[in-house]
Amino acid sequence: MSAAALDAVPEAPRRPSPMRMLMRDTGGAISLVGVILIVAAALLAPWLAPRDPFETDLMAIMQPPSADYWLGTDGQGRDILARMLYGLRVTLGMGLASLIAGGVLGALIGFLAAFYRRLDGLLMRLMDILLSFPAILFGLALAAIFGPGLTSVIIALSIATVPLMARIVRSSALVVMGLDYIEAARAIGMSDARLILRHLAPNCLSAIVVFSTLRLGQVILLGSALSFLGLGAQPPMAELGAMAAQGRNFLFIAPHISVIPSLGIFVMVLAFNLLGDALRDALDPRLRI
Amino acid sequence: MLRHALARIGLAIPVLFGVLLIGFLLMQVVPTDPATVRAGPQATAEVVAAIRAELGLDAPIWMQFGKYLGRLAQGDLGVSIINNVQVTQELGATIGPTLELMFAALLWSIPTGIFLGTVAAYWRGSLLDKGIMAISVAGVSVPVFFLGLVLIWFVGFQWQLLPFIGRGGPIWSLDGIRALILPAVTLGGVLVGPVARMTRTAVVDTLSADHVRTARAKGLAEHLVVLRHALRNALIPIVTLIGLQIGFLLGGAVVTETIFSWPGVGRLAVGAILSADFPMAQGTIIVLSAGFILINLTVDLLYAVLDPRVRQT
Repeated sequence: MSAAALDAVPEAPRRPSPMRMLMRDTGGAISLVGVILIVAAALLAPWLAPRDPFETDLMAIMQPPSADYWLGTDGQGRDILARMLYGLRVTLGMGLASLIAGGVLGALIGFLAAFYRRLDGLLMRLMDILLSFPAILFGLALAAIFGPGLTSVIIALSIATVPLMARIVRSSALVVMGLDYIEAARAIGMSDARLILRHLAPNCLSAIVVFSTLRLGQVILLGSALSFLGLGAQPPMAELGAMAAQGRNFLFIAPHISVIPSLGIFVMVLAFNLLGDALRDALDPRLRI
Repeated sequence: MLRHALARIGLAIPVLFGVLLIGFLLMQVVPTDPATVRAGPQATAEVVAAIRAELGLDAPIWMQFGKYLGRLAQGDLGVSIINNVQVTQELGATIGPTLELMFAALLWSIPTGIFLGTVAAYWRGSLLDKGIMAISVAGVSVPVFFLGLVLIWFVGFQWQLLPFIGRGGPIWSLDGIRALILPAVTLGGVLVGPVARMTRTAVVDTLSADHVRTARAKGLAEHLVVLRHALRNALIPIVTLIGLQIGFLLGGAVVTETIFSWPGVGRLAVGAILSADFPMAQGTIIVLSAGFILINLTVDLLYAVLDPRVRQT
């Protein structure tokens, strides 16, 4: 514990900036560019989409990719490129919403557990209980109670994220809690809230960033799987997992309807996973989850 | 040891209680009132009230919960709204295929993952290591359904090598095994990556340990150093981490069963939820949760048996 505490003392200024370290790593640089492109495509979907993603054209169903339809059309003649762009929005939004909701609550619990030692036992037992369930079970249970839908999925994934974030934040906050400057800040009469925000939180930031990036990939994978099962986004909404599920019916006639959205999910999750790994190496090589 | 076991079991009990409570609440949100349904459309308010009293639906909620627990203890999970089949009967028929699928997936993916991870750790930094780690990251990122659909398209449809719809028969028959291959490859496929990654980390650690250096110094053959000294000591963390992956396996199984029309609990659960068959949905969720808690508990206790250091924490 004391060795770990000593290690956490800020590095000597010789170390290159995290950004430079990240760009020096090939995987890191590529995945960062990939993530920026994905986010840009999702944000700019209304301007980039060649057609209305909901407009059906029964004269042009199940078209393979062509000059007219870059990624082809689906079973109802909707443009897959347009649906991919809008679907990216929904899938990414679902992931971000769950990550933020679960992450903020989890981080708060982690800070409280590290800061107020009396609460630690109770809070962490509660987190252990939540950790006893895999995310898929939260997904099934919430879809059963509230009915299938994007909201059920987001709530389920948020709940599944809370205990993971709480553990990460607690353990990195505990390292800082043992340091002298926290004692010093307390001695000059700093309030608890200020102490947590100004001194505890910034020192846990790299752990939070690394975890969030990796978790976003996992949450997207889980959420799109739930949508694929029909428990998440409902038709006609464009969501990558739901699109892959719709294409399943035409798998042997027009495999691209399923393959393209599935590949989209794969590339997106891969980008977040690679970026998370690279960030971990750049920000803090000791953070190996 | 006993204290560790008791602490773990002590944690499992409230969790199990929570599962049952959620299952009970699930039945409370059912939009239809069982008493009204049973009384029929022409029934007067008095008749409905009488039936409600007869079914115990007018009792306080905590008493209803107690009764519900009593029924559960007798193995009564109710009857499906859709086809009037006993929920326990349907669960009994699907649990075997699910275990079969999970076991088959673990059977090939864990040895493969451990092998790849050990190779990567031994030649760490080499092209081989980088290749294996790239496959591993890809494996962690690929949606299960994508892997399944690709296998169905090539192996099942294009090359017509293996069946891809449903279970072929009992596991000891040739048809049973043939039908199991594609689902098991799909489900195991997403596990190889994480297992390889964890193995690599653990073996890299043990390879630089003192006892491995001693083993080399006394002139032990290199493959024995790796197998007996590095890998064997790395197995303890690997076993725990595999235990943590069981949740991941369960999620994968639900999707895999759906894609391959595999008659398991996961597919039953999804079907029940989509058709608003509340008793069936409740039963599947309770069984999946309880099974998961039980497996977790077993892995945890097993871990304490394997590694005496855990017992103290």
